[in-house]
Amino acid sequence: MNKVAKRAWAVCILAAMLVGGMGFFVVEFTVRADKWVVTAGSPHVYNGDNINTGAVTDCNGILLLNMHDTRTYSGAESIRKSTLHWVGDREGYISAPAISRYASHIAGFDMANGLYAYGGSGGVAKLTISAQVQTVALEALGNYKGTVAVYNYKTGEILCAVTNPTYDPDNVPEIEGNPAYEGAYLNRFTQCTYAPGSIFKIVTLAAVLEELPALQEKTFTCTGTRAYGPDTITCESVHGTQSLKQAFCNSCNCAFAELSELLGGQTLKKYADAFGLTEHQSFDGIQCEKGSFQVAADAVNVAWSAIGQYNDLVNPCSFLTFVGAVANGGKAAKPYIVARAGDSYQAKTAYTEQMMDKEVAALVAEYMRNNVATKYGDSNFNGLNVCAKTGTAEFDGDQASNAMFAGFVADEEYPLAFMVCVEGGGYGMYTCVPIASKVLAACTEILQ
Amino acid sequence: MEFVESLQNALPTYINVFIAVFRYAAPVLALLILARAILPLLRFRREPEIWAWLCFDDGKKIPITHWENVIGRHKNSDVVLDLATVSRNHAVLTRYDDGSWTIADVESVGGVRVNGKKVSIHAIKPEDVISIGGVEMQLQPISEKQEKRLAQLRTKASSYGTSFANVVLLSVFQALCCIGYLMTGEGRYAASYLIGFGGILLCQWLLFLFYSFIRRPAFEVETIAFFLCTMGMCAICTVVPGEAVKQLLAMVLGIVIFLVIGWSLRNLERAKMIRNIAAVAGVAFLLATMALGTVVNGAKNWIFIGGISFQPSELSKLCFVLVGASAMDKILTKRNLMMFIVYSVVICGCLAVMQDFGAALIFFIAFLVIAYMRSGSVGTIGLALTGLGFAGVTALRIAPHAVQRFKNWRHIWQDPWGFGWQQTRALMCMASGGFFGLGLGQGWMKNNFAAESDIVIATIGEEWGLLMVLFLVLAVVALALFSVRCAPMGRSSFYTIGSCTAAAILLAQVILNALGTLDVLPLTGVTFPFVSNGGSSMLCAWGLLAFIKAADTRQNASFAVRLFKGRAGAKDE
Repeated sequence: MNKVAKRAWAVCILAAMLVGGMGFFVVEFTVRADKWVVTAGSPHVYNGDNINTGAVTDCNGILLLNMHDTRTYSGAESIRKSTLHWVGDREGYISAPAISRYASHIAGFDMANGLYAYGGSGGVAKLTISAQVQTVALEALGNYKGTVAVYNYKTGEILCAVTNPTYDPDNVPEIEGNPAYEGAYLNRFTQCTYAPGSIFKIVTLAAVLEELPALQEKTFTCTGTRAYGPDTITCESVHGTQSLKQAFCNSCNCAFAELSELLGGQTLKKYADAFGLTEHQSFDGIQCEKGSFQVAADAVNVAWSAIGQYNDLVNPCSFLTFVGAVANGGKAAKPYIVARAGDSYQAKTAYTEQMMDKEVAALVAEYMRNNVATKYGDSNFNGLNVCAKTGTAEFDGDQASNAMFAGFVADEEYPLAFMVCVEGGGYGMYTCVPIASKVLAACTEILQ
Repeated sequence: MEFVESLQNALPTYINVFIAVFRYAAPVLALLILARAILPLLRFRREPEIWAWLCFDDGKKIPITHWENVIGRHKNSDVVLDLATVSRNHAVLTRYDDGSWTIADVESVGGVRVNGKKVSIHAIKPEDVISIGGVEMQLQPISEKQEKRLAQLRTKASSYGTSFANVVLLSVFQALCCIGYLMTGEGRYAASYLIGFGGILLCQWLLFLFYSFIRRPAFEVETIAFFLCTMGMCAICTVVPGEAVKQLLAMVLGIVIFLVIGWSLRNLERAKMIRNIAAVAGVAFLLATMALGTVVNGAKNWIFIGGISFQPSELSKLCFVLVGASAMDKILTKRNLMMFIVYSVVICGCLAVMQDFGAALIFFIAFLVIAYMRSGSVGTIGLALTGLGFAGVTALRIAPHAVQRFKNWRHIWQDPWGFGWQQTRALMCMASGGFFGLGLGQGWMKNNFAAESDIVIATIGEEWGLLMVLFLVLAVVALALFSVRCAPMGRSSFYTIGSCTAAAILLAQVILNALGTLDVLPLTGVTFPFVSNGGSSMLCAWGLLAFIKAADTRQNASFAVRLFKGRAGAKDE
């Protein structure tokens, strides 16, 4: 018997395997459970691709979406349309990565209690956007496709970021094959890039002021064209002799072509990179499309690239951040959209690197301020101290130009940077300024 | 009835409060119940029973502590005679139910002499002088009086009070579960909840009363089993409440089988005879399945007769344990395991043809344990494992559904909408439950396939929390460790092997079920003993428990061990 009894230990091997296996699982559980819970398909958090718990509100607590079961959107059509690209649709064509990112917080997950919540489930995701400003911005865009965005360059809160075309998720139109809804599933603020046109001159200007500060004292003569062999760079009109500040205000292509020769393509590229325009920018689980800046082989295209044409592309969010950095002494708060999620997530302000010297930033701001004061008109902005630059991105062929407008309010009380991109909007100054005017007015109202 | 209706119409506030409290109270209660049951099993004092004394010429006396004792030169012999004339395993001294003893020569070189005559097996009479390798000795069985005294001196397994408290705690737990389901569940299933939990409650009280009547207070092993059954009932009430009554009936039948097997094992000679019947039955069950069975989920392991579905391979497991168990003299004389290996190959062959690889693996693990305990040969086990490797490769070739499961293993997150659906949902839901669960009836797992059987622990994990899952697993581990702890006091290797094999099968099932569900191992459609929904599995689990119970030699512990009442043969003396 003794022998057989001694051999009974063999059973312990199996017991050890079981205990070891369960131990392995417990470790895996403690490390991964928070991710398992919020993987798409997780039954208590998702319904199909959509989160099925909690609610989303704007910065003032206005309900944008109740995510339970069939998803209940805001009662107002204008709010439904203007916020759709942040909260997502029912079918999963428009995803809401920022909300998915905080799903476990919204669902209220913690290791001990899982998703248990007394009497129900789900927390609130509070966004930084204002439903009111969103509505104003979408209205201001009218039938144009494009995006309008405003953010606080000191805190990083995105106060407004609308995209058009959009649609009412409670009354989905026929989108497939309908040109009016082309690209309706895209959030143009994060997922698109635009040829910047003249707003890119802010980049070139900053590079010049950093690299060749002496040029501030120099004058530039514009004859309306600048020849590069058979090719020419042209201006809409003859600007004559002008200072750098005036050339920037006139958005003089010839002067900036000359500047591009002094800087060279490589230097421009260095600054485009340093300003974060050629990198993916990320926030709240959203990866923005990255812009591009190609160093052209020939001088004429280097010149075009310095004035926002050639192969230049910028992402609205990245460019907005860059403008924010100009406003904020060369270093901006990074934009974010989710202010709070459940009880466990609270957004914190993060900053970009120091993109440019403080003095350079101040100078660029001063030049941009001059644009508004002397050209765009302070009256458009209801007394706000706005610094900005318009742009018109031209395309080959018949395609209408994109109207662009980027700038900021230099005011401690309203530290707002803005970006307006209007596809086929023609001249930035005529199309975008009124839009920016309305949206900034709405923003200041909210902030008061 | 009014009480039930008031529960069903309870205000949401009451339901919410109940869930909020019970989700913490349940694991606490479970821990209390299990700790009270498990700790005595793992901590009892292991006292050898003394059945006789072996007296040598020089006046030395050696106690004989088992019913089967190997005399030999080997250091692990029960009676070590370190002389060159003695074979390593020389003779086996065996005690029988009636108190008589035999000495058997187990193919020794020198042979065994009794009163100078060479014998192969001999019934020992008083005054007989046994000579082994030139050493002369006399066996002095303890007297009836001594036996009685020794029995009384042994530490009692448990008191009626302790066991009574265990049953009360279990009953409280079951009552709370039942109230919870009445409050949260669908009204039309009220009867199922009441009968399901009430039935288990009644069964445990009846069994406890029966034990009290036959003076067996120990109820630890049963407490664990009833607790597991209760958690299984919870899963059923969540997923398929309509099957609660069916599962209860299976449990009742299981307890009957538990008692019958236990009773059969009381008498070792009877048990040895039943073994032959079991051998035939074990194969017959499988052949019947092959002939009449239906293919479900790739494996032909179900028989449907008149609306009752049945998995005969579960009962074959019980037969296999009986066949594998063997007494010491047989182990030593029939050294080669040839007959048993052939038998095992036939069983595994049947299962392979049925493509029931989960069951085949469990049989194989049982085979390994039996083979090792009988032979002590690691080499044999190595050979067997190699054989398994080849068989496994062949099996994977002929069974695409098995291959797929291996491919999915540790890759389930790559396709949570396809092949990983069932298991990723299981893990997502377990994670949603955290350590304490979402509360009974509050889970989503009920929408998942096999939520109350193959992946039952995910259902329990979601609603009762990870802690409860760990408790369930540890409860089975405790049963197994108890078997191992009982081994040194085993009266016969028949009981020890039976108990350890039963424990190994229970462990193997939990390993495959739990670790399979959790993607630690490939998923196999194996049930969690006592917990998973399935009648055949329930019968098997209770049957296996009888083997564990039969090896429990603590004082007044097991109905499968006879109490000392005076020997059957004593009256004639």
